[in-house]
Amino acid sequence: MKKSLLVIAIASIILVLIAKLVGGSGLVLTGLEKAWSTAVQSFLMLVVSFMVIGQLHVLLTKEKLDKWLGKYSGIKGILISALAGGFFPGGPYIYYPFARTLADKGMPFYILIAFLFGKNIYDFSRIPMEASLVDPKVALIRLLITLLIPIISGLLAKRLFEHRSVEDDLAREGE
Amino acid sequence: MLLTTAIFSGIALVLFFINKKENGKQVEGLKIGARQLWQTLPLILGAFILAGMIEVLIPVEFVKNWLSTEAGLKGIFLGTFGGMLLAMGPYAAFPIIASVLASGAGLGTVVSLITGWALLGLSKAPFESTFFGLKFFLYKSILSIPFCLAAGLAAHTLDLLLN
Repeated sequence: MKKSLLVIAIASIILVLIAKLVGGSGLVLTGLEKAWSTAVQSFLMLVVSFMVIGQLHVLLTKEKLDKWLGKYSGIKGILISALAGGFFPGGPYIYYPFARTLADKGMPFYILIAFLFGKNIYDFSRIPMEASLVDPKVALIRLLITLLIPIISGLLAKRLFEHRSVEDDLAREGE
Repeated sequence: MLLTTAIFSGIALVLFFINKKENGKQVEGLKIGARQLWQTLPLILGAFILAGMIEVLIPVEFVKNWLSTEAGLKGIFLGTFGGMLLAMGPYAAFPIIASVLASGAGLGTVVSLITGWALLGLSKAPFESTFFGLKFFLYKSILSIPFCLAAGLAAHTLDLLLN
């Protein structure tokens, strides 16, 4: 985590400097105001979602997860995971920590990929917004066309990275 | 956001009672959650700052004007990368996408724009790389590009068949 924090801090400083050069202090302040507003709006949700993460941590033992994966591995696991992603509420500051908890518990890489692509592509709570703000026909066509993306991504990840784990990746990156 | 918070509160409560009944570790769960939040909070706050700066640095008008009359294969390609640059939530991104559609962009452009925003949107990058590493973020982004192009191409073909 320390390395991630360092990377985030350096990237933030660089972007703040760019914003200062491009638009002066005003643009920097606008960016910081946006960040502050998101932080304030999402604080309660963050607290509650980490309560869920903590409860899941003690509930999902390795044995339970192995049993579940034995039952729902392969294509069945990909389908369920992609749909679970689609129904999972909240923004990236909620579902990434949640997915990381599952990864730490030993959830296979391809199931995580299906979950994340399912969340990004389906996000069922976003569809009414897409239909009303963009266009209902476009939203329907977009959903139908992209319907298979989370499944294909899960299958591709299973084929290409069957034995990969997020923990190994992070260890290699020095986390 | 209130609804999501209410849903999570309900789930937390249900899980609390399941843990109380199954293993008696509900308080330990609360402590783990609090500890994880405490450990992750600096990262999340840093990611908020990064996302905020990305959002103000990307010239939305430029993306809008750039895509508004694009159609065909060029539109699909530009739509995918335009979607990546729309580093914002759905409430801000969808009206921009709607104006691109209203300006005369093709269906393929709009579908690749939405798919690019959903899969590649830069606002997710700080969170993705924080929780899964930079390599994961790069792999996922590279894997996503052909999907956005294929979605745009399928929509463009459909558009040609329908009109």
